Amino acid sequence: MQTALVPPSEPKPKQSMIHSRSGFMAIIAVLLIIAVLSVGAAVSFGQVAIPFSQSYRILLYHITSIQIGDIHDLSSGSFVDIIWKIRLPRVLMAMFIGAGLTLCGTIMQAAVQNPLADPYILGISSGASLGATFAILIGFGSMGLLGQTGLAFWAFAGAVGASLLVLILASAGSKMTSVKLVLAGMVINALCTAFANFIVYFANNAEGIKTVTFWTMGSLAASSWDKLPLISISVALAIFFFLLQFRVLNAMLLGDETAVTLGIHLGAYRRAYMIITALITGVMVASCGMIGFVGLIIPHLVRGLVGSDHRRLLPASVLFGAIFLIWTDVIARTIVPNVELPIGIITALIGAPMFMYMLIKKGYAFGGQS
Amino acid sequence: MNLNVEHLCVSFSEANIVRDVSLRVNNKQFVGLIGPNGCGKSTLLKSIYKVIKPRQGDVYLSELDVIKSSPRKVAQKLGVVGQFNELSFDFTVREMVAMGRTPHKGMLETDNQEDDSIVTAALHKVNLDTYAGRSYNSLSGGEKQRVILARVLAQQPEFMILDEPTNHLDIKYQLQILNIVKRLDIGILAALHDLTLAAQYCDYLYVMKEGQVAASGKPEDILTKELIGEVFDVACETYRNPVTGALGIAYLETR
Repeated sequence: MQTALVPPSEPKPKQSMIHSRSGFMAIIAVLLIIAVLSVGAAVSFGQVAIPFSQSYRILLYHITSIQIGDIHDLSSGSFVDIIWKIRLPRVLMAMFIGAGLTLCGTIMQAAVQNPLADPYILGISSGASLGATFAILIGFGSMGLLGQTGLAFWAFAGAVGASLLVLILASAGSKMTSVKLVLAGMVINALCTAFANFIVYFANNAEGIKTVTFWTMGSLAASSWDKLPLISISVALAIFFFLLQFRVLNAMLLGDETAVTLGIHLGAYRRAYMIITALITGVMVASCGMIGFVGLIIPHLVRGLVGSDHRRLLPASVLFGAIFLIWTDVIARTIVPNVELPIGIITALIGAPMFMYMLIKKGYAFGGQS
Repeated sequence: MNLNVEHLCVSFSEANIVRDVSLRVNNKQFVGLIGPNGCGKSTLLKSIYKVIKPRQGDVYLSELDVIKSSPRKVAQKLGVVGQFNELSFDFTVREMVAMGRTPHKGMLETDNQEDDSIVTAALHKVNLDTYAGRSYNSLSGGEKQRVILARVLAQQPEFMILDEPTNHLDIKYQLQILNIVKRLDIGILAALHDLTLAAQYCDYLYVMKEGQVAASGKPEDILTKELIGEVFDVACETYRNPVTGALGIAYLETR
């Protein structure tokens, strides 16, 4: 047995680039730069193509008042309005929603210790759909502006209501376990979907049904500056909060018993995380409908890059998710001329093959290196 | 640190799994807990390390009231080597071991140089120096168990509980793990399956049967063929091993 001992003089084991500190910082720096450049590039795409140089100059002028060249040149067209009033809030919305969905997906996967979890696992999607269906088809949808806030309100209420039901159901009787959570989520999903379908079936309102369908596919078309503060502040606060929780999140992946021996009793943390993610997801769903696959796939993708340690995983995946959604939104509004595709279609079309590739690819070990 | 368990009772719904168990582990003593499957030894250990709440009774680590203290406070003193398990999410070996520092760190604190050297030393102690970057899930059972042990070493506990850590391991790794633990020179309470290994490593043994302590004492005093026959329901003869001079047990046909 003694012969198996490695002599202490052995050179320090080498760590891969991404697992070293400088390598990780490089990844974050690159992602940050890409995110900033993406915002600038994304506002140039659309029904009206605007040259990159002009959009960057407009953004720079509006943000810092620095003029490069003659800014009055630019204001002469309608470019300034398109970029500043329509596209920029939308791109920023995409950025925050992408970051938020990825964050919630990562947290959910840790909280239920299940790689299949996504932000909608707590029945949020079906709850929100039920709320939205209710609002659209039972009459709150036809009240103009009030109808719009009504839709968002009911979607939010449905999302939060469904997830609370799931949480209660999962902790009823005995201790809340991750398996019970996942099953409770499925049950509530089925129930809400049944109710929503019931409303749709008897609604005899073709226009309304179309709105419901469109809403469940997700869209950022309704983005505007006044919707941005709620989303951006809540997502930013959640990111900040969870960045400070990396030790608990890591311990969660080891399971309840091991976490206790490391000094963390998971029960209360898990419940708190669930409620926070449910609220954030509810806010996001209420403003842009359901955008699938982002919260499921981006965390896995980034785990393959930086590992499962949440200290690295969270910042990297949040940035990655933001960039991903900015570009999928660009595709959604440009791929078919003069038509806006629901972004949920694009995320699924891109996400599903990516996920297939990860499943087939040898060596993807949900975060480790093989 | 010493461990004092007094009149501990654990029950699930109607069944009393652990019935009025008291035991004591002195500082730097290696104490074994043996007994047949289902005798309640795992439940007893789990209620000592706070995974299960006992119905009544006290657990003290020196002055620390384990049942009333926060998990974090207990984890700073008490390390637990359980059985390794598969993870749904993978970590590198080094990340796994670094998690042993969790109870010593504030929420906002990141790992510093000292933590790094503690982790490196723990990896060295279990002969996994070159494994730091490997994926935990890709390791063999023996290697995984050593990673778990390294994580507990990084926790720098003053008392250690081993909850059947050597199950399913080759004899080489069983010996390796017990040797490493024995050399730590801290109080240890270990549930073990193999009676000869228990006799070889433990200073003192508690034998459990049906939730109660059936016998306790020095291994050579209590591991008699009568006791083994009664508690484990097997016929055997004990003898002095001619090579090592230690206690040997020869199992005869099951009755």
